[in-house]
Amino acid sequence: MDFTLIVVLVIVLALIFDFTNGFHDTANAMATPIATGAMRPKVAVTVAAILNLVGAFLSTEVARTVSSGIIREGQDGIQITPAFIFAGLIGAIVWNLITWLLGLPSSSSHALFGGLIGAAIVGIGIHSVDFNEVVNKVILPAIIAPLIAGLVAYAATKLAYAITRRELGKPDGRGGFRYAQIFSSSLVALSHGTNDAQKTMGVITLTLIAAGLQPAGSGPELWVVVACALAIAIGTYTGGWRIISTLGKGLTEVKPAQGFAAETSTAAAILASSHLGFALSTTQVASGSVIGSGLGRRGSKVRWRTAGRIALGWVLTLPAAAIMGAITAAIAQFGIVGVVIDAVAGALVIAGIFLWSRRKSKPVTVGINEIDGAGRVVKIRKTPRKPPRKDRKKVAL
Amino acid sequence: MIDWAAFLIVAVVSLVSAGLVVSLYAFGLRLLTTAGRPPVVEPLEFTGAITVLTPKRAAKEAKRARKAAKANPLSPAQKRLALIAGYACFVVCGVAVLFGVYLIIPALHG
Repeated sequence: MDFTLIVVLVIVLALIFDFTNGFHDTANAMATPIATGAMRPKVAVTVAAILNLVGAFLSTEVARTVSSGIIREGQDGIQITPAFIFAGLIGAIVWNLITWLLGLPSSSSHALFGGLIGAAIVGIGIHSVDFNEVVNKVILPAIIAPLIAGLVAYAATKLAYAITRRELGKPDGRGGFRYAQIFSSSLVALSHGTNDAQKTMGVITLTLIAAGLQPAGSGPELWVVVACALAIAIGTYTGGWRIISTLGKGLTEVKPAQGFAAETSTAAAILASSHLGFALSTTQVASGSVIGSGLGRRGSKVRWRTAGRIALGWVLTLPAAAIMGAITAAIAQFGIVGVVIDAVAGALVIAGIFLWSRRKSKPVTVGINEIDGAGRVVKIRKTPRKPPRKDRKKVAL
Repeated sequence: MIDWAAFLIVAVVSLVSAGLVVSLYAFGLRLLTTAGRPPVVEPLEFTGAITVLTPKRAAKEAKRARKAAKANPLSPAQKRLALIAGYACFVVCGVAVLFGVYLIIPALHG
C-alpha cells in the first residue's frame, strides 16, 4: 500500500474535519453577542476567526492527549495504521452529518473520538485503546466540565444580578453588560481555538507517528499547528453567513448580564480544562453554561423534556460514532481496496445526505445551533413591566 | 485511577476566575449608575433576534437616566469618586482576564 498517499489523505480529511468544526461552531461563540446586539455580525465573525487562529497556537496539551494518550501507538505499544485513522475519520464525519440531518444535538469532538476508538478496536483489537486515558481525559470531562460550567454560570449570573440590583424603576445599567460581551465572547472563541483545533492536530500527529514519520510520544510539529489553526479559522469565517441567515428565526432570549456570565464561565472552564489536557466538547460546556445562567435568573424553570433530548444526543454520540468507525475499519481491513471502498462510500453518503437535506426544504434543527437548543431548556417567566402598585417598592428581577 | 484533583482544580479555577471577572464588571456598572451615569446602550443595527428598543423608548430611557442622576443624593465629589472607582473596576477586570490568558500560555513563562 502506498504509505505516503494514505497519510496525505488522512491529513486532508482531518483538515476538512477541522474546517467543518470551525464552520459549525462559529455560532457557539458568537450567537449570543449578535443576539443581544453587542456586536455586528460581520465584526463578530471576523473576530471569532482571528481568535480561533490565535487560540490554536496557545497550547498543545489536548493534542498530546489525542496523539499519545487515547490510542496506544509506537513500537512499545500497538501499531495503529493510517488506514484505520482514515476509517475512524470517515466514521466520525458520517455520524456528524447524520446528526446534523436529524437535528440531533451532538458533539463533533466526541464523534471524532468515537470514530477513532471504534476503528482502533476493530482494526487492531480492544487492547489498542487506553481506556484509562479515555475515561480520564474524555468521558469524565464530558460529564463533569458542563456541570462545572453550569454551576459557575449559575453563580456568576446570580452575582451579576445581585450586584447591579436596584429599586424597581431606577436605571440599573445592566445594558452595559453588552460591552463586556464583546470581550467574553472573544474569550470563548479563543478557548474554542485552543481546545478544538488541537484535536485535529492530535489526529494528524497520531497519523504521522503511526506512519513512522515522527517519534512516538512527541508533540505536534509546527506546520501541523499552522495548518490546523488556518483550517479552523477559515471554517469559522465561512460559517458566519449561516448565523446571519438564521438570525431572523429568533434565538432564546438572552439578557446581556446573563450572556456575559455564561460566556465568562464557558471560557474559564474550557481554558482551565485545555491547560490540563482534557479533550472536551466546547459545545457541551457552552450548553452547560447557558442552562446554568438561565437558571440563575429569577422565575426560571427547567424544561426536562428538552434537557433529556439534548442529554440523549450527547450520550449517543460516542458509541454511535464508534460503531460507524468500526464498520469503516472492518472494510479498511481489506487493504487498499477497502480504503478505496471506504472513501467512495463515505463520499456517497456525504453527497446523499447533502442532497437529501436540500430536498427536504429545511433540516429539522433544535435551534440555530446546539447552544441555542440548550437555552431552550430553561423556561423563564416574563417579568411584568408594570407590577401592581403595592409591589412597586420591592426590588425587581 | 481517576485524577479527581484535576477536576477539582478546573472547578475551583473556573469558579474563582469567572466569579471575579463578572463581579468586578458588575461592580463597575453599579458604581457608574451610583455616579449617575448609567450606560444607556442602544442596540446596534441588525438585532432581529431581540427586542429592539424603539427610538422613542430609547429616548425615554435616557430621560429616565438623567432624571435619576438629578435625584442622586451624592455630592459631586462622591459622584466623581464613584465614577473613578467604577472605571478602576473595569481596568482591574481587564487585567484579571489578561493575567488569566498569560497563565495559560506556556511560551510566556517557561
